[in-house]
Amino acid sequence: MLALRDLQAAFAALLEGEDQPGLFDAIVSDTISAPARLRVHRHHVAQSLTGALAATFPTVQAIAGEAFFRTMAMEFVAEELPVQPVLAEYGEGFPAFVSGYGPAATLAYLGDMARLDWALNLAYHTPMVPRLAAPDLAGLPADRLFELKLGLAAGSTLVRSPWPIDRIWQAAQPEAPEGMVSLEDGPAAVLVLRRPDDAAFASLETSEAAFVSALAGGTSLGEAAEAAFSVEPAFDPSTAFARLLALEAFAAAQHEA
Amino acid sequence: MKPVVGIGLRSPHLAEIARDRPATGFLEIHAENYLAPSPARGTLERLREDYEVSVHAVGLSLGSVDGLDEVHLDRVATLIRRLEPALVSDHLAWSVLTGRYFNDLLPLPYTEEALGVVERNVQRLQERLGRQVLVENPSCYLAFAHSTLSEPAFLAELARRTGCGLLLDANNIVVTAHNLRLDPGAWLDGLPVTAVGQYHLAGHAVNDADGEPLLIDDHGSRVGEGVWALFDEIVRRYGPRPTLVEWDTDLPALDVLLGEARRAEQALGIEANARAA
Amino acid sequence: MNSTRVAIASALAAALVLPAATSQAQGNMEKCYGIAKAGKNDCQTAKSSCAGTSKKDAQADAWVSVPKGACEKIVGGKLTAS
Repeated sequence: MLALRDLQAAFAALLEGEDQPGLFDAIVSDTISAPARLRVHRHHVAQSLTGALAATFPTVQAIAGEAFFRTMAMEFVAEELPVQPVLAEYGEGFPAFVSGYGPAATLAYLGDMARLDWALNLAYHTPMVPRLAAPDLAGLPADRLFELKLGLAAGSTLVRSPWPIDRIWQAAQPEAPEGMVSLEDGPAAVLVLRRPDDAAFASLETSEAAFVSALAGGTSLGEAAEAAFSVEPAFDPSTAFARLLALEAFAAAQHEA
Repeated sequence: MKPVVGIGLRSPHLAEIARDRPATGFLEIHAENYLAPSPARGTLERLREDYEVSVHAVGLSLGSVDGLDEVHLDRVATLIRRLEPALVSDHLAWSVLTGRYFNDLLPLPYTEEALGVVERNVQRLQERLGRQVLVENPSCYLAFAHSTLSEPAFLAELARRTGCGLLLDANNIVVTAHNLRLDPGAWLDGLPVTAVGQYHLAGHAVNDADGEPLLIDDHGSRVGEGVWALFDEIVRRYGPRPTLVEWDTDLPALDVLLGEARRAEQALGIEANARAA
Repeated sequence: MNSTRVAIASALAAALVLPAATSQAQGNMEKCYGIAKAGKNDCQTAKSSCAGTSKKDAQADAWVSVPKGACEKIVGGKLTAS
């Protein structure tokens, strides 16, 4: 007789794809055999986790198709099970897996689409924190503004890619208009944000992305603008900063700047 | 809670329910879908102002030999504090082992050893939540040869030792009885009446296993006629209780789900629910 | 502050008094309501056939399975030429 700990270990090993003949002997077998009964559980674990990944990575599935996605996701599930029960938090390693997945090598951009899906999923499940608005900074002297460090609101992610990921995302939507996307339209950068009722993203110019990236890294507004100038001499700090404020990308200040 | 009939709140119906506020006795959610502060949880918290809520956890893993995951338990406890649900439940099953979550309600052997493990976990859960929880009979696809107790005897003893309530899922009884060659009527013998706190109803599918039908608890169709018949028997023996109609796979239009709930009200012999909103 | 820095500082300050373009900026975002449909802990039991449930099966399928979806709308680039 198996002790409960040994039984659960054997069951877990079977679900992870190992042969566990000892487990067959522990199960009542009649006209339906023990292996056939155990297959119900093996099947359910694989299918339900694959389904959860499809819900978290809808763009990847739309691009690759259901059958291809299922096969790819099943391989990921076999490699990496959830470490806790909240399935919305499962799949952090999936974008890297997709990038390295041999059969998807012809879709070089697919891993970046997975990163975008994950960033949207993350934003959706992040608390909606109060945002900074332009009037909050009114009256601040220009030199203080230069030195000001602003944090992106919780749930924000900058996703940069050598491919036009914003246009690919649009083409993968169920109601997307007909038309082709050329990979030569890349690169692209998008800023993913939590919003009151959903998650969303805005496409950024290369210089805006450099600005946001520097801000996210903790540099001051002025130095972030200098970083943006270094990639694009025509960078316009007024427009870029005003746009980010309008997008409500910054968290409300915790303390006086 | 009064013996009313509720429906499972599933995200494809969320916007429609938030807009139309259909009459239903309560809304039941899966705890694990609402632990993160998403817009969907915001909607649920607004619905809570108009509806009774039941929190049905699917991932506490009451049968885990390692004990409960305290991090997950804390998150569930926080949600329960926010929602103040009328009912809280999970399953007689396990789904976690040493940091791996299998997302399945895995079967337990019904032995004294397993009873001790589940007893400890249910006690810990009730202590952490500061309230009684209900434990649901699972759908079984296999039985362990070394089980020494029947499933209902295991549940009855668990309720006696921990003071937990029992959630009787009529569909799961039908599925288990078919798959393990048991008599569903006999399954109902000898449960402690006062412990029975809630009923679940759902549809199941029929699969082929080794050339024979095996019933699968997929919550993907109307409640089967065999399940309705057993439900009548349950109500006759244990009386009316809050009852949930759940549907997860191939979700129908909300009206279809509400129609199933009306049939459950008739089976319980109660008046249609007053409009909740 | 050097003159470049002064110019940047005043450009940043100018952003604060630009006509509020919030609604336009928000309109330029892609909304992702689709995520809201995901009750990922809902599906309790998969019912379909028992084929292809192991890693071995998945690996065998992988190389014969061809992506077939919106990728057909995405063209160009040296990696898709083959």
